[in-house]
Amino acid sequence: MISIKNLHASIEGKSILNGINLEVKAGEVHAIMGPNGSGKSTLSSVLAGNEDYEITDGSVDFMGEDLLEFSTEERARMGIFLAFQYPIEIPGVSNMNFLRTAINETRESKGEEPIAAKEFLAMVKEKSALVELDNSLLKRYVNEGFSGGEKKRNEIFQMAMLEPKLAILDETDSGLDIDALKIVSHGVNTLKTKDNATIVITHYQRLLDYIVPDFVHVLYKGKIVKSGTKELALELEEKGYDWIKEEINA
Amino acid sequence: MSSTLTQNKVEEFVSHIAENKLAVWNELPSIRKSGLEALEELDFPTTKNEYWKYSRTNRISKHAYKFNPLTDVNIDLDSVRIKGLDTYEVVIVNGFLNKELSNLPSKDCIELKSFEDCSTEELRSYFSQNLDTISNIFSALNTAYFTDGILIHAKGKCDKPVHLIHYSEGTETISQPRNIFIADKHAELSIIKSSLNKNTSNFFYNSVNEFFIGENSHMNYYVIQNYEEGINVVSTNVATQEKNSTFSAFNYTLKGDWIRNNTNVFVKGENCESNLYGAYQPTGKEHIDNHTIMDHLMPNCESNEHYKGTVGDKATGVFNGKVFVRKDAQKINAFQSNNNILLSDDATMNSKPELEIYADDVKCSHGSTSGQLDEEAIFYLQSRGLSKESATALLIGAFLGEVVEKIEIPELKEAVLEMYGME
Repeated sequence: MISIKNLHASIEGKSILNGINLEVKAGEVHAIMGPNGSGKSTLSSVLAGNEDYEITDGSVDFMGEDLLEFSTEERARMGIFLAFQYPIEIPGVSNMNFLRTAINETRESKGEEPIAAKEFLAMVKEKSALVELDNSLLKRYVNEGFSGGEKKRNEIFQMAMLEPKLAILDETDSGLDIDALKIVSHGVNTLKTKDNATIVITHYQRLLDYIVPDFVHVLYKGKIVKSGTKELALELEEKGYDWIKEEINA
Repeated sequence: MSSTLTQNKVEEFVSHIAENKLAVWNELPSIRKSGLEALEELDFPTTKNEYWKYSRTNRISKHAYKFNPLTDVNIDLDSVRIKGLDTYEVVIVNGFLNKELSNLPSKDCIELKSFEDCSTEELRSYFSQNLDTISNIFSALNTAYFTDGILIHAKGKCDKPVHLIHYSEGTETISQPRNIFIADKHAELSIIKSSLNKNTSNFFYNSVNEFFIGENSHMNYYVIQNYEEGINVVSTNVATQEKNSTFSAFNYTLKGDWIRNNTNVFVKGENCESNLYGAYQPTGKEHIDNHTIMDHLMPNCESNEHYKGTVGDKATGVFNGKVFVRKDAQKINAFQSNNNILLSDDATMNSKPELEIYADDVKCSHGSTSGQLDEEAIFYLQSRGLSKESATALLIGAFLGEVVEKIEIPELKEAVLEMYGME
């Protein structure tokens, strides 16, 4: 589905990604772990098309297309979804209005008719139930006054509505209590099919108890330095990152 | 030397106006005289004049204007009608009331009359009772040479809103309508003013509206400015409020080459509420200027003022809001704010909130902000599939929507939201 090769990216002249190689196939869940400042969030921002970052080398192939050639909205319409670590509050824009616009612009780009009001409402009802997002929140302005957990559930709700091919969850577990974590994970797991893929970016192994990855990668100094299966995450939980740092720096 | 020169400029300008020799100018000589006398003392303002610091008026003063009543005219009224809203429609063409196209009821609750159908006595008791209407050259010009006008007299709870439609057409043509709005004790009235212009170039629209808001009455005045090119607009509104009354003025400017709105409210009674709301969004080279005065003369009143705007391209926005709380006006709550978003590096916003308080027991606040669209919010919306353009439009809509939401007539609110591209 996505093939990242030798990806280098920098911001304001500072190099953050230093040659990422990653291959994700349909139906797979990949976890990317790593210490603070290793480049995890940069990778997700770059894949989503954040123009603050400059791509200095490498390529990203997404379903046969050169992803880096596309704008943020084009990538979204192609099926890339980024669940933000810090979802943005947008006063004055209602959740529903925003989502309907997002769905309709995606449809329009594919030459499809706008979604019928009834169909949209039915979909909202079904998908919001999935993450136990209260109806009153849907009518409110995007993320405004939402608690940390509500914001994250809203991200997964949007993901459910937009039905992406590749979802990138950027520290979705940060700021979540155990109940919210279960709800969010349940949402993500329910949305999983053999045709889509998920990249889970996280600090802690805890999330991976609920969203079980097929592969775990360790990002350090802007490179994937170790890859393995879910056992690697458990090892990291137990031993921390120091042993990996030592291995690399040795 | 220079004052002689400017005086000549006013004289020359006025002499062109006077050449039109309209029959209506024989009516109400004493009122017109006050305007004529004021004109003798007034100059066209330069940007050295604080009240006109950001708006140059030579684009208006350099032309010689004619009046044109346009008797045979085809107006697309449907284009300004509010969907689903029944109103008393009044059509004013180039400053002249068009009786055929207008609905002028004479009911227990409301009476609409052209000036020619009003007694001199009736007009005198209201006309220019607000001294402010001759203090600047444009309202003095209107007072001296107004063409026609309408007197709207609410006597009770009005069954439907009045919709004033001002139509303008022509080259170097001037329109000088004058309107008087009266709400008697306990009356309730909503007025909507829309504008339409076609084939205008160097057109000058110069209106003066006087509002008399009686005891315990409630008046809402909604203005929608959506002009095609070729027209310069000076619109002056002066309101006086008696005790226990509520007056709200809403101004939504969607489009216009050059607009100056003066909205001045004098609160002369206790326990009044006054609201001033406005939104503007100049683009291209448009110039939109809103000046307001909120003058609290009596105690125990509340005023809320909120103007919001986005300024794009090489456009200019101006906001100047003055709040006065006079010596005897204790226990006043007066709030004013002006928020702006600049959409381009070449856009200019001049915002000047002013507060003058002479009483000691009051609660007042004012503030002004000018910023940019939230880039992070745009990225967030784009990451969900919205184009940059619709993400921007959505954010602008959300920003301006706050003052559109204040509209109290649901059908009108819907219509204005739609004009701004919001749902």
